Amino acid sequence: MTPFELAEPTSLAEAIALMGEGAGIGDNAARAIAGGTALMLMMKAGVFQPKRLVSLRRVEPRYAEIAATPEGGLRIGALATLTALERSAVVKQAAPVITQTLKTLSNVRVRNVATVGGALAHGDPHMDLPPLLTALGAQVRTVSPKGERTLAVGELYTGYYETALAENELITEVLVPPLAGLRVAYKKITTRAADDWPTLGLTVALQLNGGVVADARLVVSAATNTPTRLAAAEKILRGTTLDTATLARCGDAAVSEVELAGDAHGSSAYKRELLRVYTQRVLREIWGKS
Amino acid sequence: MTLSTAAVGRSIPRLEARAKVTGRAEYVHNMSVPGMLIAKVARSNVAHGRIRNIDVAAARALPGVFAVYTGEDIRKLIAEPYYGPAFHDQPILAIDKVRYAGEPVAVVLAADAHVAENAARLIEAQYEALPAVYDEVEAMTSKAVVHEVLKPAGTFADLKHLKDKRDTNVALDFHLRRGDLGRAFAAADHVFEHTFRTQQVLHLPLEPFATVAIVNGAGDDSLTLHSSTQSPSFVRTEIARLFGWTDNKVRVKVPYLGGGFGAKVYVKSEALAAACAMLAKRPVKFATTMEEQFYMITKHATTLRIKSGVMQDGKITARECEVWWNGGAYADIGPRVTQKSGFTAPGPYDIDNVHIDSYALYTNLPAAGALRGFGIPQLVWAYESHTDMIARELKIDPLTIRRKNILREGWPQATGTLMRDAALEKVLERLAQRMQWEKPFQRGSGTIKRGRGMAIGFKASISPTTSMAIVNLSADGSCALYSSTVDMGQGSDTIMAQMVSEVMGIPIEKITVVHPDTDVTPYDMATLGSRSTFHMGHAVKNAAEDARDKLLTLASEVGLSAETTPIPDIFKKKYGMLAGNIVGVGSFVPSYQSPDARGQTENATPFWMIGATGAEVEVDTETGEFKVTRLVNLVDVGKSINPAIVETQISGATVMQLGFTLQEQMNFSDGHVTNASLADYKIPGMRDIPPMENEAVDAEQKSGPFGAKGVGESGTFGVSPAVANAIDDAVGVRLTSLPLTAEAVYRGLREKAGKPLKDS
Repeated sequence: MTPFELAEPTSLAEAIALMGEGAGIGDNAARAIAGGTALMLMMKAGVFQPKRLVSLRRVEPRYAEIAATPEGGLRIGALATLTALERSAVVKQAAPVITQTLKTLSNVRVRNVATVGGALAHGDPHMDLPPLLTALGAQVRTVSPKGERTLAVGELYTGYYETALAENELITEVLVPPLAGLRVAYKKITTRAADDWPTLGLTVALQLNGGVVADARLVVSAATNTPTRLAAAEKILRGTTLDTATLARCGDAAVSEVELAGDAHGSSAYKRELLRVYTQRVLREIWGKS
Repeated sequence: MTLSTAAVGRSIPRLEARAKVTGRAEYVHNMSVPGMLIAKVARSNVAHGRIRNIDVAAARALPGVFAVYTGEDIRKLIAEPYYGPAFHDQPILAIDKVRYAGEPVAVVLAADAHVAENAARLIEAQYEALPAVYDEVEAMTSKAVVHEVLKPAGTFADLKHLKDKRDTNVALDFHLRRGDLGRAFAAADHVFEHTFRTQQVLHLPLEPFATVAIVNGAGDDSLTLHSSTQSPSFVRTEIARLFGWTDNKVRVKVPYLGGGFGAKVYVKSEALAAACAMLAKRPVKFATTMEEQFYMITKHATTLRIKSGVMQDGKITARECEVWWNGGAYADIGPRVTQKSGFTAPGPYDIDNVHIDSYALYTNLPAAGALRGFGIPQLVWAYESHTDMIARELKIDPLTIRRKNILREGWPQATGTLMRDAALEKVLERLAQRMQWEKPFQRGSGTIKRGRGMAIGFKASISPTTSMAIVNLSADGSCALYSSTVDMGQGSDTIMAQMVSEVMGIPIEKITVVHPDTDVTPYDMATLGSRSTFHMGHAVKNAAEDARDKLLTLASEVGLSAETTPIPDIFKKKYGMLAGNIVGVGSFVPSYQSPDARGQTENATPFWMIGATGAEVEVDTETGEFKVTRLVNLVDVGKSINPAIVETQISGATVMQLGFTLQEQMNFSDGHVTNASLADYKIPGMRDIPPMENEAVDAEQKSGPFGAKGVGESGTFGVSPAVANAIDDAVGVRLTSLPLTAEAVYRGLREKAGKPLKDS
């Protein structure tokens, strides 16, 4: 690893300034560091050789707060650690699927230091929170020298390790809307070790109305460059009662509408079969929940 | 001398436990000495190529760089800078050509590790690409030749015929012939033939390779090496040979090891550190990263073909085994794996007619050597999968067919050596009992099908090898044990101290185990192949008995009873005060007979290791995903010196082999490792470990110290085939390649259904 300067600003404004002019470009650009779990690996591998790291550890503590909104949603500070998110009573109350997802997200050592903002900004398509928060319709608020903006988590990812964030733009918080009866599950499918990157990630969110599917959101991840909505499969589900035939059609539609990349976890052909089976299983599981 | 409670056979807590959990245990990886330079290497980016040019100018110019060396600089220091236990084939840094992607071609020295690392990245080498060979079977006939001329080390008689042999990749061909195979095949009711494969994997001890080399002596003509090695005595001799020195010019010191598993035997990080220190005249530390371990030493990928002649009742009458061991670019100890493990290829079965052909092959991949089991897990994988495939075809129960063929006490194994103190039957029967094999088994329901499988294997001890020990009794009645056995986590310090305690009647707290230091501790072949308990155990016992006898003599000389007099009083009477020592020495080398041209010998091994595993699995018939829900491991270790340590050795070995069975695989693209990191190469974590039951059967190795023998590897033997057999039992899918993946099971299910999965 190349030696670097470590800046430890006490305000977010200062942090943004330190990442700006004169702080290098491209692989040498100044990088914000929160938990550092991904960045350190990339620096060790020589992918990034930043001249300056801007630690976010000492900025205003409010950026690490987790709170329920009056409407019943969540406001999650970007610097909240994944462990804080996992253990938060308000999160468990408002969106238990987030709590559940964190149990198998990486390992406890990573979760203790990694932050929500980092997990969203990293852009690795294998991560668990981006597809889940996409399905939940969550938004991120960001800040950069150009000012603040809000965008949907679903709009954050533009390609393989590519995000819509500018180099000196930081996520400040995540806004999760109230679930309002939305039934949600995230299935992380691993095929090697229990603690591993997913071979395939599948998030399913269903809004039921009088025993009929009013709305459905299906997001596939890990085998695609970005979390990807399965529009055709969603369309099949709307207005139906999830009988066996519908489930089968939905599984087939999911497989037809998305390209899955083969890798060391499994071939493309095998991942398609996993998607076909798990789409049906997860839907059945959600449907069975009262 | 008054006897304390018996020490042998008790689960005494490990001597080093407190030091390790409080972070006080010493490791070379953490070591630093004044004036030390850090070595970082630049590695080849082609699998096979002639070196045209190595440009080190930019690296040399980087501020803070002390020196940059290539193979040519090493050659100025050492005329023939090649090392290895079986062949002198491995250059300290590549010379003339590179033979695998990742081979060290240049080294940078700097006081600052980051500077050295950055400088190493600036080194540019040009190669003329040569045709490469990666597959072990292709290597038999390939036009691509890894080593133009073979250079056997001369230490091994069975390699002599390979001296100066040209244009071959075969680094050893071992053959065994017993009975009349052709006639037996002709007379058999059935003939079965199957081919199996295993993948290349690696050791990955949590402490990577590390050596600190310090030049000393008035004429800068001697070296001290602090090294994370399992074989200090070998390293001393091999480094001395490279420099043309006598052994006393090299001192090798070894603290604790953060794991070894066979990776740290023979020369690994030592030669480069030593050469750099001699060139720089400064202390040099060469410690690899975790990722660099992928380019150091690995476990052989293999192709194994087994053909068996079987009678209708399941009796096996003939067996032909061909084994191709993918040794990678350097032989390391591969030729020994080929022979010493190769001769057990037909399995622990009574078969009158046997042919074995076992080949060590050079390829353009990272070198393969010894890894926990020394080739045995690959062989058991093949022959125990084969056993179940035969049983299934003949509709015979897997336990029944094993009972019918298992070698019994006093019967000859394929080499002609009689099985002695080998509790094969007992291990098999105990396994069947614990698995409740003869009771009905719940087969699962819906999309989950359950199955169970068993496998049993055996291993010979590498032989003949020598161990020496010294027991030094102080006047106050405390004592020190000097031995070159390396405690790498297996608990050898503790059990050796137990043996001293047992013989001398001295409590364990009064015994110090002096760690290997070749200027201080006597010779030992190495800590490998589960040999220490038996070989060093004998040497330690002999040394302790020698010290005890000398104490008895001393007591009678001064007119005291050694039985009733405290030790200090005996010394006081002799020397007038608390002074003096008694030094007991012990050595051990087992008898052995080399195999003849047909692979036959009356004495192939001083003892046999036995290991068996039973597995239960649940398979998801819609996805091929499966879960090992129970593992039962049975071993014969003779009498346990320390039952708690035996238990952890069984479970540790089993979990390691389970990783090789289900998860681990080095992936390659044109000879480049594509997953050289712990993020992409997955070793088992706590959540991957299934419920496990471990047991050492009630047995005795009559020729062993206190009835004991080795235990480090036995837990690995049966794991892979037991799981594969269980999967087949559950869903009728037979996998013949490792690792066993959900996808492979799924593809098998689809094929069975007549709808093979198509890759678009």
